[in-house]
Amino acid sequence: MTGKSKYSYYVEGTALEVEDRPRKFLQAFAAVLEHSSYSLPLEVYTRLGAKCSRCAAACQLYEATQDPQDIPCHRSERLLRIYRRYFTKTGTLAARFLGKGFTLTDEYLDEMADAFYRCTACRRCKLTCPMGIDHGLITHLARWLLAEIEIVPKALQVAVRAQLEGVGNTSAIPVPALIDTCEFLEEEFRDIYEVDVKFPIDVEGAEYVFFPAVSDFLMEADTLMGNAAVMQLTGGSWTIGTGNFDGINYGLFYSDRMMERIVRNVVSEVERLKAKKVLVGECGHATRSAWFIPTFCGKEAPEVVNCLQYAWQQIESGNLPLKEGVKIEERTTYHDPCNIARVGRITEEPREILKRICSDYVEMTPNRTENYCCGGGGGTVSIDEIRAFRTGPLGQRKAEQIRATGAKYVVSPCANCKKQLRELCEDNGLDDVEVVGVHDLLLRVVDLKRDVPEVENREAAEEAEQKLYVPASVGAAAKQDLKISDDEE
Amino acid sequence: MESLLHFARGPGFLFAFAFMVLGLLRHLFLMIWQIARTYIRAGDKSLPYSAIAISSLEWMFPIRKLRDQPVFSLTSIIFHLAVIIVPVFLLGHIELWQRGIGLAWPGISNSLADVLTVVAIVTGLALLLQRITARATRSLSRFQDYALPLLITIPFATGYLMMHPAINPFPYTLTFLTHLVSANLLFILVPLTKLSHMALLPGSQLVSELGWHWPRDAGSRVAASLGKEGAPV
Ligand code: HEM
Ligand code: SF4
Ligand code: SF4
Ligand code: SF4
Repeated sequence: MTGKSKYSYYVEGTALEVEDRPRKFLQAFAAVLEHSSYSLPLEVYTRLGAKCSRCAAACQLYEATQDPQDIPCHRSERLLRIYRRYFTKTGTLAARFLGKGFTLTDEYLDEMADAFYRCTACRRCKLTCPMGIDHGLITHLARWLLAEIEIVPKALQVAVRAQLEGVGNTSAIPVPALIDTCEFLEEEFRDIYEVDVKFPIDVEGAEYVFFPAVSDFLMEADTLMGNAAVMQLTGGSWTIGTGNFDGINYGLFYSDRMMERIVRNVVSEVERLKAKKVLVGECGHATRSAWFIPTFCGKEAPEVVNCLQYAWQQIESGNLPLKEGVKIEERTTYHDPCNIARVGRITEEPREILKRICSDYVEMTPNRTENYCCGGGGGTVSIDEIRAFRTGPLGQRKAEQIRATGAKYVVSPCANCKKQLRELCEDNGLDDVEVVGVHDLLLRVVDLKRDVPEVENREAAEEAEQKLYVPASVGAAAKQDLKISDDEE
Repeated sequence: MESLLHFARGPGFLFAFAFMVLGLLRHLFLMIWQIARTYIRAGDKSLPYSAIAISSLEWMFPIRKLRDQPVFSLTSIIFHLAVIIVPVFLLGHIELWQRGIGLAWPGISNSLADVLTVVAIVTGLALLLQRITARATRSLSRFQDYALPLLITIPFATGYLMMHPAINPFPYTLTFLTHLVSANLLFILVPLTKLSHMALLPGSQLVSELGWHWPRDAGSRVAASLGKEGAPV
């Protein structure tokens, strides 16, 4: 990868050409305070900080490095200090009349740039802060402000560019390739399991539009096949939209501006397909980003369902046929992705599923809302140049947790977590561990041969399936491709 | 000395106490106002109310939280109990309030007050000691984090000496003056330092949640005001 490494991660060349950074940073800060909701927490946090260091004991990074710079409260103070000095009355008055307070400098910003990408914004420390200070929120905000002066890890920026201005998704998968992949997966079903399982594409009026982490199409075939199997066996009305099939939202990791645009694109695709709901695949941050749909699109916006919630609901109501007497025998454990577990929104569904299908399920401790981050959160997993840091100090705690369970399968329903956990196991001598998704295991135990129940609008759905949507950005050659595949059906 | 004493217990006290009460009310009012404003502007108005209520209560009455850092937590809880109970429920103080504004409430016995006063001093110093000896807190601490616990022990220590003249090595008026001045100083410092947590703490969990509830078009508005509409990613 090219790019300058003034920081621990690469940034684009333009980042180093920005002049007047402190002034521009403060300008962005002022705009954000005016138009968003951050002034409320900042105002209260600046007064509340008890400096009791309880947060330090909660953070896996500080636990590993014991470096005072890595204490959550210490890191957040970097931003609060700027807020206090430039955006509170006492701060500005003290600076004017007493010459007190500090001046924001380039060096200070550079230090921030490194500090705020050492935190994964996993928000574990929030649980132990008596004052309720959310360091994940501070990291989230600080990164946005840094991004406004072009300090963004190149890996994140390039992905968002591909998604918003390029092909339309973070892995730059063109529509024909997507369709090829889906057909390939359908073939796999025929070859391996001898069943016809569909990956419905552009079905208008479907109930759910499916948004996995787009990287699943490249790397997690079993997860996707599990998703498709569950949908088909339960008669779920779902579709993949060729206009937008990427649930990933790196805006969550560095810019609310980008986040808003990406979330809106998800909703427009659902509207284009006249569908009702967003079905998010196995991805923690994609789910959390989708939960922001009401923020950006209002109350009327489509409902968000995570595939784990869907699958468990179907299993519980007896709708998903599981093979008699077939269970996953090897020891299995579950890693909670912070983005869905920290606030306790999705912790039980995956456990219930795993307990149902595994004969040796064990927990790692702590778990659920108190889980430790895998060490790849906040987008850091995509930054390859910091792998040693991620699988070292940042992920050490997780590696120990995994080792302690003695599990063969570490299950995590999150594309980010899975990539990080694999690298973590590789770098920490956990060679026998296999990292998989919940649906990967479900795929092995669902009874694919059972008759598929009827859906009311199946005919309408199939009819709609014929009308393939081709986005304007796809060239004539691609359209040709689509036609061919369409005819073959 | 006498006139100083007179000032400290009269106008000095009135000013300091009013400063504290008004200052805390101001913090509280501003917080509530900003909470309301943030909520009204928020695109997503659904909030996990019961989770917020539970975590707020858990920290206001942190019994369940004891398992993290039990020694520190226990010290802090006992410190808080003593520091709140003694000044408010001391019979001598209640009597003063009754003389001043005609209001009275049940108090604690002087012997219990004695015990709690010693507890306040010991736990205050223990908090300080723990702060100094632990690496993480040492690197975080500002001046006020050391100064406040020390300052808080002064009115308790002098109060104790006043109640037990037999063991008091200092002149009574000096002790009394120190008691009044340190207490008044504390009142003034409450709204200016982290002691304002007395008023702000109950709202902080809600505040943290609302920080994530942005206006519907916050991102595009920021882009517009920075002249970055349509700018490449
Ligand atoms: C009104 C109810 C109050 C509540 C709910 C409350 C709660 C808290 C909490 C949660 C902390 C965090 C430190 C910890 O315990 O881990 C704290 C710290 C502290 N509080 Fe309070 N507090 C209250 C009133 C007071 C009062 C009246 C005082 C003294 C005048 C006081 C003095 C302190 C001090 C000095 C600390 C810092 C301790 C340290 O050095 O770590 N608090 N309080
Ligand atoms: S736990 Fe909260 S109050 Fe204590 S040091 Fe950390 S941020 Fe500050
Ligand atoms: S990595 Fe997690 S626990 Fe550590 S400071 Fe960041 S949000 Fe807090
Ligand atoms: S990658 Fe997974 S564990 Fe890590 S922060 Fe994201 S959701 Fe949490």
